[in-house]
Amino acid sequence: MRRISVTVSLNRSTLQFDDAAYARLERYLDESASLLEGDPDPQEILNDLEQAVADQCTHRMASGQAVVTLAELEPALEEIGSVQVPGAATASERPMPNTARPLRQVSEGAVISGVCLGLARYFGFDVTLLRVFAVLLLLLSGGGVILVYLALMLLLPYAPLEPGGKPPRWLPRKSREFIEFLRAKLHVATN
Amino acid sequence: MVVESKLAPIRKGLLEFLVLKIVGVRSVYVPDILKRLADTEFATQEGTLYPLLSKLRREDLVQYEWQESDAGPPRKYYRLTDAGKTQLAALDEYWNRINRTIADMGH
Repeated sequence: MRRISVTVSLNRSTLQFDDAAYARLERYLDESASLLEGDPDPQEILNDLEQAVADQCTHRMASGQAVVTLAELEPALEEIGSVQVPGAATASERPMPNTARPLRQVSEGAVISGVCLGLARYFGFDVTLLRVFAVLLLLLSGGGVILVYLALMLLLPYAPLEPGGKPPRWLPRKSREFIEFLRAKLHVATN
Repeated sequence: MVVESKLAPIRKGLLEFLVLKIVGVRSVYVPDILKRLADTEFATQEGTLYPLLSKLRREDLVQYEWQESDAGPPRKYYRLTDAGKTQLAALDEYWNRINRTIADMGH
């Protein structure tokens, strides 16, 4: 049996979401909340964003359609954009302490999926050294590293794409699309 | 695109000024503001606007009231407070001064 939909109360609206869309929405709101850390009144902004999501999804649903899917939610979130805190530096110029920064895959500048880049950012390593080390390990371990890499690829959440930043290369982009598709199918929640 | 990226921080900083200007004309809700900015260099998104409006409200420059809408839930309509009007006038004047300085430079 499969759960068909989740009823979600978004500020002043109530909508039905399918599981994949619900997981995506949860991720967006969690990301927004963490970006608003330090804001004196994050709840007000989160309520506004919830309402914006509800309005945008409703607007995109076909007449008679009862359940919001990724087909409506993705373009809606794209249009709303990620939270930008006024006066703050953008994510790329803001130095963040390791403790506040979750371990994530970073698609921009990645070679395969962004696991090495994410690990390097998180632990403060040089990414080139880490990649060389990973390749050495691959040669020495006889392939065991590939399994570790695949597991991390599937389990580590993705860092949000930088708006206006350099888009990821073909392979990281495709692998991200594939993994997100897989997660939706398997109902793997990463955050 | 080089030119645009050089002035990117200035554009970002001017957004607050422009939002005050738009809200100063008449009371508006967020989609009105987005629409007004959409075809300009300052096109923005709800994810940027809501935190900004929340900050302006805390600074007592704008206030909002709920208004019923024909379709869907009530909407938040924003307008300037008296402090907001004063600050907008000051910003306008300062911005004109900067423009004159820039225009006079190089003569």
